[in-house]
Formats: sequence, structure tokens, C-alpha cells
Amino acid sequence: MKPLPERLNERLEQRNARSSCGEEPSVSALTRDPEADALVALALRVQSAPPLRVDPAFARHLEQRILVRNAALHLEQPVRGWSFPRLLRAHPVFRVALGLCLLLLLLGTGALLLPAQATNPDSPLYVVKHWEQQVQISLAHSPENQAHLDLQFAQDRLKTLVTLADAAHLQAYSEALAELDQQLSAAARASDALPAGAEHDRVASQLATLQAEARHTLRGLLPQLALPERLLTTDELGRLGDTVPHLVSVEMVLPAHQSGQATISIAGDDLQPGAQLLVDSRLVEGTGSFQNGRYVFVANWAGNQPPQRLGILNPDGTAAQTTTITLNSSDEHGNGNGNSNGNGNGNGKP
Amino acid sequence: MEAIDRQLDRARRGEPEALSALYRRFLPGVFGYIAARVPDRATAEDLTSDVFVQMVESISRLRATDEASVAAWILQIARVTVAGYYRKREHQPAFVSLEPREEEPGASWGIPDNNPNYDPVRSAEAHDEWDAVVKAINALAEDQRQVLVGRLILGYDVATVARMLGKKANAVKALQFRALQRLQRLLGTQPFPEHAHSFHLHAKEDVL
Repeated sequence: MKPLPERLNERLEQRNARSSCGEEPSVSALTRDPEADALVALALRVQSAPPLRVDPAFARHLEQRILVRNAALHLEQPVRGWSFPRLLRAHPVFRVALGLCLLLLLLGTGALLLPAQATNPDSPLYVVKHWEQQVQISLAHSPENQAHLDLQFAQDRLKTLVTLADAAHLQAYSEALAELDQQLSAAARASDALPAGAEHDRVASQLATLQAEARHTLRGLLPQLALPERLLTTDELGRLGDTVPHLVSVEMVLPAHQSGQATISIAGDDLQPGAQLLVDSRLVEGTGSFQNGRYVFVANWAGNQPPQRLGILNPDGTAAQTTTITLNSSDEHGNGNGNSNGNGNGNGKP
Repeated sequence: MEAIDRQLDRARRGEPEALSALYRRFLPGVFGYIAARVPDRATAEDLTSDVFVQMVESISRLRATDEASVAAWILQIARVTVAGYYRKREHQPAFVSLEPREEEPGASWGIPDNNPNYDPVRSAEAHDEWDAVVKAINALAEDQRQVLVGRLILGYDVATVARMLGKKANAVKALQFRALQRLQRLLGTQPFPEHAHSFHLHAKEDVL
């Protein structure tokens, strides 16, 4: 015997079938099954209970009401004939097209977001990032917009620089520093290009803030850098208006003999007490004295060739170096006689 | 009869004939569902009106393409509407009239008061009986109620009700059996009211 729910359902189906054929549904017409029949009788009573039947007058009234509401809706929204969801429902090809567009958008967004996170100039994605930024700037629809983008990208370069300030990324650091310089210059040009007014003042103020931030950041990086990068960073600090050493004149008196003591005299601005001597980008032990803005170092000299570059490293980490050196040979009386060559590295004044 | 998908398309475009056809198709089920859950015909009619007005207002967003899905959608609106009605009642104080109760002609379940066959005693009994039926139906689980509406009032087969509820056919048969069994247990052997009159039931119904 089938379970009761199954039997009940069969009897309800049979009853419905008789009902749809116009026959009077009757429980007694079926084979007796008291348990199922009692439930079917209950179902029949529920089905035919007058309280569950709709009053025809109410039905007519409500139908009119909803049609009036429908008409009112169409009057409120006369252009409902074209809507994006309706278009999608009506034409499956639009769904496919939309799906493809979304896919391309996702891929495109991913392809653009990935480079956006690239911070190492050695990375191929960094090139893409640059390209993206150049495109953005070229598409900037107003000078204000371009100035803001330049500021934003300069800020971005500054952040990049911080991640590269270690011995493992010397080359990348140098490149990023050059890019920071370019971007700050571009931002300054964009700011200058803006007509006088509130927007100009706002951009100029943002640029000044960024420059101050850059000075602060670069100074903080100095202790982590090797000497060549310190020299470059000092140059940049100078361009940003910071106080950095500038070499005005550098004189070297070579010893009369092959080995002896050389005297190096360095004059310039913002030389700090306690500075150290740099010879060909290396720190050299020497005794120095600082008087009237001029440093005089005495150091052992054993070389045959005069140095290419001389400079100083200030205690605050800034450094300056120059190739413009006046060379003198000392005679027995200590008088020098020689020539000068070279040019400055940015901090020296030839 | 026009296929439901075409009818739906036309209804979404706001064509009155299609909306009327849908309304007529689902009115018995919606009204039966609501009438079995609220204490009087006037309330049932008010709530039914709300359901169909909502149907008209939101049919353009309906994605269903078959009858079972449309029935499920409309019954869902009905369920939420009834739930809202009971929530509102929870926050309203119950008014108890000190005057003898008068039957409202417009709220009659069937026989007008001036009917020569009108029997006040029978009417009161019918009211109490229907009160018990409403309570019993309210005591069913929601899916049991929807199975009864789908099977007994809308006249759908088990497969359609299964699609409507997102269940398997055997589950629908089991729900149908349990619903009727529970009604039988709750109502005992008392007969259903043949002609119930307006009800003034103020007792809080079960939770929805």
C-alpha cells in the first residue's frame, strides 16, 4: 500500500480530473480509504468555503482600480517604452554584448590596476603605469585638471622613491629621483600656467605642500643612501629650495713628492662644521679646519694622478662634490702653482 | 488561453488586457490566501487590493516567465502584505465596543442582513467557526499554506506547485498531507461555516 500522502494526492488528482470534466466531485465515488477520504473531504471544504471565494462585485471594482492605476503609471512615465532592463530582456543579443563589455572592462581594469601598484622602475609594469599616467595627463580636459594630475603623479613618485631607498635599488632610486624631479617641474609649470585666481592659489599651495613633504622625505632618506645617491638627493633638495652645501671653489695643493700630504681647500655656502672630505666620491680620512666658510683639509696623498672630484659630506647627510679643481704643486716653500679643470656636479659652482 | 510568457510581456508593457488577464488568473488564489489569514472579508479585500496594486506597479521589473514563478511572486507580495497588516495591528490598541455588535452590510460574507433566511444565531456560530478556521490556517507553516492555496484554490498540479515553491514534488505531497492533517487536528470534526458573516476578531494572530 502506498503511503498516505501519496494516496491523498492521488485522490485529490482524481477529484480534480472529475471536476475539470464537469463531473461533480465526490469522495464517495472513489474506492474507500477512510484516512485519505477524511483529508480529501477537508480539502473540499476548504476549497469551497464561501469565505475564501471572491465577491464578484469586489472583483470588478478592483479590476477597474488596477487598470486606472496602470494608466496613471503610464502617464507619469511616458518614456517607459525604452528602458535598459527592458532592452536587455527583449533582446538576448544585448545581454551577450553587455556581458562581453563587462568582461573587457574587468580585464581592462585588472590590466590597469596591476601596473598602478607597480613601484619598481625596473618592472615592465612600471612602464605601463607611466604610459597610463601620460595618457591621463594628455586626456586632461582642463589646465586645472592637468595640474592636479601632475601633483598626484609627483606624489606617487615620492612614495615610489621611499620604497627604493636601499642598497639593492641604487639604479632604480636614481631613476625614480629623476622622475620625481621631472614631475615636480611639470606640476610647477602646470601651476604657473593657471590663470590668477582661487584655483591657481589652491594648486600653488598644494605644490608648496608637496615640495615641503618632498624635502622632508628626502632628508629622511639620506642616511639610508650610498654616497652617489646622497649627492643626487642633495642636488634635488637644493632644487626644492632646501639648504644644502654649494661649493664655490676647490683648490688642491699636491705634495712636492710622490707621497706626502695634500692640502685641500674648499670654499662654499652652507658648509657645516664637522664635514668630511670626499675624494672621487669616497670618504677620505683627513684633518680639517673650518674658518670663515672655508674648509681646509690636510690628507695623506700617495697617488700619481690628481683626483677627478673633490667634495664634502655635511654632518646632516647632505653632500656636494665638484670636478672644478684648481691644482697646485707645492714647492719647498709651500707655494702652489697649477691649473684648474672640470665642472660642477650640481652643487659646485665653477 | 494565451501563453503566460506572452501575457507577461504584454503586461510588462502595461497593456490593460494582459494585466486584466493576469489579475483574473491570480485573484482567487490571492484572495483565498489572504481571506484564510485575516479575520474579516473587508480586511481581506483591502489587502487583496494592495497586493494587485503592487503587482501593477512592479510588474515591469518582474523577470518570471512561467506561471509558477508568477504565482510565487504574487503570493510573496500577499505574504508580505499580510505580515505588514499584523505588524501594524501589534502597534494599535484593540478597541472593544460597549455597544451591541452590528453587522456591516458591506462586510457581509454572503447573505445580507435583510435576507429572510438570515438567522442571527447561525451567523454567530458561523463567525466562531470561521474564527477557528482562520486560526487553524494561521497555525500552518507558510509553505503548507502556499501548498493549499496552489493546490486547492489555484488548482495547480503538484509539479506546478513544486516549481512555485522551489521544492520537489514529493516534498509538496508531504506538505499537502501535513497541512490537511494539521487542519483536521486543529478543527476536529466541526463543520466549515457555510455562510459566515462579518467577523470582529481582535485576537492577535500567530507570528508570520
